[in-house]
Amino acid sequence: MTDALRYEITRLRTIRSTYWILGVAFGFQLLLTVLIAWNLPETGPLSGGDQTFAILVTVGATLGVAPLFIAYVIGLLGVFSMGHEYRHGMIRATLTALPSRLHVMLAKVLTTAVLSLVAALVCVGIALLSAVSFGVGLPSVGGLRDITVGTVLYTTLFSLSGLAFATLTRNQTAAVALLLLVPSLVEGLVKAVVLAIKASSGDPTSRGGIVDILKFLPYDAGGQMYTRVSLNDAFQVFGYKPFGAVGGGITMAVFVVVLLVLATAAFQRRDA
Amino acid sequence: MAVIEARGLGKSYGTRRAVDDLSFTVHPGSVTGFLGPNGSGKSTTMRLMLGLDRGEGRTTFDGRTFAELEQPMRHVGALLEAKPFHPTRQARHHLQMLAVANRIERRRVDEVLELVGLSAQAKGRPRKFSLGMGQRLGIAAALLGDPHTLILDEPSNGLDPQGITWLRQLLRHLAGEGRSVFVSSHLLQEMAQLADEVVVVGRGRLLTSGPVKDFVEHGGTAEVLLRTPDLGVLAPAIVAAGGTLTPDADGLQRVTGLDAARVGDLAHEHGARVHELSVRRATLEEAFLNATGLDEEYRGAITADRPAGETGGAR
Ligand SMILES: Nc1ncnc2c1ncn2[C@@H]1O[C@H](COP(=O)(O)OP(=O)(O)OP(=O)(O)O)[C@@H](O)[C@H]1O
Ligand SMILES: [Mg+2]
Repeated sequence: MTDALRYEITRLRTIRSTYWILGVAFGFQLLLTVLIAWNLPETGPLSGGDQTFAILVTVGATLGVAPLFIAYVIGLLGVFSMGHEYRHGMIRATLTALPSRLHVMLAKVLTTAVLSLVAALVCVGIALLSAVSFGVGLPSVGGLRDITVGTVLYTTLFSLSGLAFATLTRNQTAAVALLLLVPSLVEGLVKAVVLAIKASSGDPTSRGGIVDILKFLPYDAGGQMYTRVSLNDAFQVFGYKPFGAVGGGITMAVFVVVLLVLATAAFQRRDA
Repeated sequence: MAVIEARGLGKSYGTRRAVDDLSFTVHPGSVTGFLGPNGSGKSTTMRLMLGLDRGEGRTTFDGRTFAELEQPMRHVGALLEAKPFHPTRQARHHLQMLAVANRIERRRVDEVLELVGLSAQAKGRPRKFSLGMGQRLGIAAALLGDPHTLILDEPSNGLDPQGITWLRQLLRHLAGEGRSVFVSSHLLQEMAQLADEVVVVGRGRLLTSGPVKDFVEHGGTAEVLLRTPDLGVLAPAIVAAGGTLTPDADGLQRVTGLDAARVGDLAHEHGARVHELSVRRATLEEAFLNATGLDEEYRGAITADRPAGETGGAR
């Protein structure tokens, strides 16, 4: 297992994509947080505090209108971890050096998780830096902790789902497409269809029913770890009551774990 | 020093049987050539041996399967058909990555780069490598752990003539040290100089295995080439002695079934003049074509030019 970890670490260190992914994530996080911090009013509700800082860290994702940008960039680390293996036939070199596929997979899960987590933490740090530099009122300790945990966990799980997609599809391009489309397009469509059905039912404002499906949309559920106010709140007139940050986080985590277990099983069974 | 024992290897792609109940043994101290027409399952067999493809059967290296080996690159070095390099990772980094996974000293990376003649390209990226350079990097990776067993799929692919000679000497040297070398190739002349033993497959099945010498002697046809102005006298005598005559280009006769000494004696006995008498030995190529002729899957539309008079073109 340590051999597999050493291999993965060397793999990450000796490839350009690791550096440009982190560079893009950090660079844009800096640029965007500076832009936002610069334009925040000096007084009023958006001049500082937990809410304002949450907006800054997530570049607006906390409002539920935009996706969490850093997750989509850092998530590529997860996809490439396995995607490169298949894209360039590296998998055969990897498995002749490390025949235990379980160890190879575990090493990829571990390095992807740790690197994504650290990268997301750095992004939070960059937001903090921007806030301090532009005199934005700082968040409370609890507020800082909550938004940090939410953002970092979501990004890490997002990255791991990318790793699972790449392992399942054995195709980097397909995995990138899945990672970009499932959270936004697919979940969005499911939401639209479910709400349309509910709205046209006899009793659209009753609790539960078909709208309960929406609670289990994994990325949407996980998003509650960092969302503070959301468009989804508006859907609550249709009797939709989401799980909240903890339940949503658990829902997403269960989804990612199931994906990873399926991916590992497929990886063990299939030809390299 | 490891004996490779492959037992009952099998693999299907859908309904297509790529390798079927294939068993053979590779002995230490020898180079074993793995021969077969295109699509006969050589590469698939090698992937099965290394546990890369999932299929039937078992291959052991001194009693242990590849997956059971600790730090396998120290035991078995492999070069596979498709080149497994990330296009923008430097050659030395590629090797370093493999080395750390098998606790191979970093110094060894420079050694193998030197050995395969890639020292100057150590910081080069495979995307910019020529076919032969890529192949050399693959060979470097196979040698990285100083393994006692080598499994090489068409290692001479893309090498220049110097490279091919170098590789032959290297593999002979490694086998001379008591290692097991299992190597596939389409270059039969090359293989004839290199291999001690052969394993021949057709359509995924074993056709024959054993020493190259036996294979060539049994599978090829040695001929005596004869030129004589007194064919009218000599031909009946040769036939009577059990030989067969086939006319070749410009008056040359090809005699099979008798050796040169016997043909010479017959000429003397019958007072026939002989202008040319020579022996053409059986070649590995011939033995291979004979052994695999019926199994060849992808036959070209135009069969190889054969000298006039030979029994038909297609086999
Ligand atoms: N990944 C695959 N999927 C489906 N069929 C395959 C696959 N790999 C090989 N085959 C089939 O298995 C058979 C054996 O192929 P293989 O590559 O092992 O032959 P080979 O002896 O190495 O040929 P060559 O001399 O051309 O390298 C072929 O019929 C091929 O079409
Ligand atoms: Mg092949």
